[in-house]
Amino acid sequence: MNQRRDILDMLAEGKITPEEAEQLIAAIERDRPPVTAISEARPNGKAKYLHVVVDSTENDKPSRVNVRVPMQLLRAGVRLAALIPPQALARANAELSRSGVPFDLTQLKPDQLEALIEQLDELTVDVDEPDTTVRVFCE
Amino acid sequence: MPQLLTARVTRPQGRPIRIWVPVLPTVLVLSPLLILATLAAAVACLVYHVRVVPALGAGWRLFFALPGTRIDIRDGRSAVLVSIW
Repeated sequence: MNQRRDILDMLAEGKITPEEAEQLIAAIERDRPPVTAISEARPNGKAKYLHVVVDSTENDKPSRVNVRVPMQLLRAGVRLAALIPPQALARANAELSRSGVPFDLTQLKPDQLEALIEQLDELTVDVDEPDTTVRVFCE
Repeated sequence: MPQLLTARVTRPQGRPIRIWVPVLPTVLVLSPLLILATLAAAVACLVYHVRVVPALGAGWRLFFALPGTRIDIRDGRSAVLVSIW
């Protein structure tokens, strides 16, 4: 992802033409492992772990946070979250609204959360900042 | 059920500290305290109008789902790694 950003920076600075940028990006895409390789790594097609990896550099000091959470733990957590009493949800809703997030937590049903976790298999989130990279993925 | 908790703390100076905690013996040793904690949790559930049995069941499932959890934090030459097996 950083290579892609470098290419875009070079394009913005006028060091390369849009055609050259396109060719370079295509070359990076070719070098990337295909998505199917991840699926092949899972024999039964189900992801077992959710990974959150944060790489950052502060004052030239690299830091890294790498958390691996079993999907089973997420499911158990969802069941626990389903037991939150309605009055607590109402208070959480009020706080969310006050923070500018009008979200009704009472509408979230355990079945929906289960379905959400099932669909996490295919989730990949990449956030690239100059000093920070965040990756969330399942494997 | 989790069998082993390992922790490694690396500091810029000095040798890294490694800790292995066998979960089952620790749970057995701490069982009197755990019973008290369970009772306290049950009382807290009743006070906050949470169904006791499903809540304790969910907590039990959460505990059983812990194996495989790994937290690795590195900051410069310092690092903390916690793994549950």
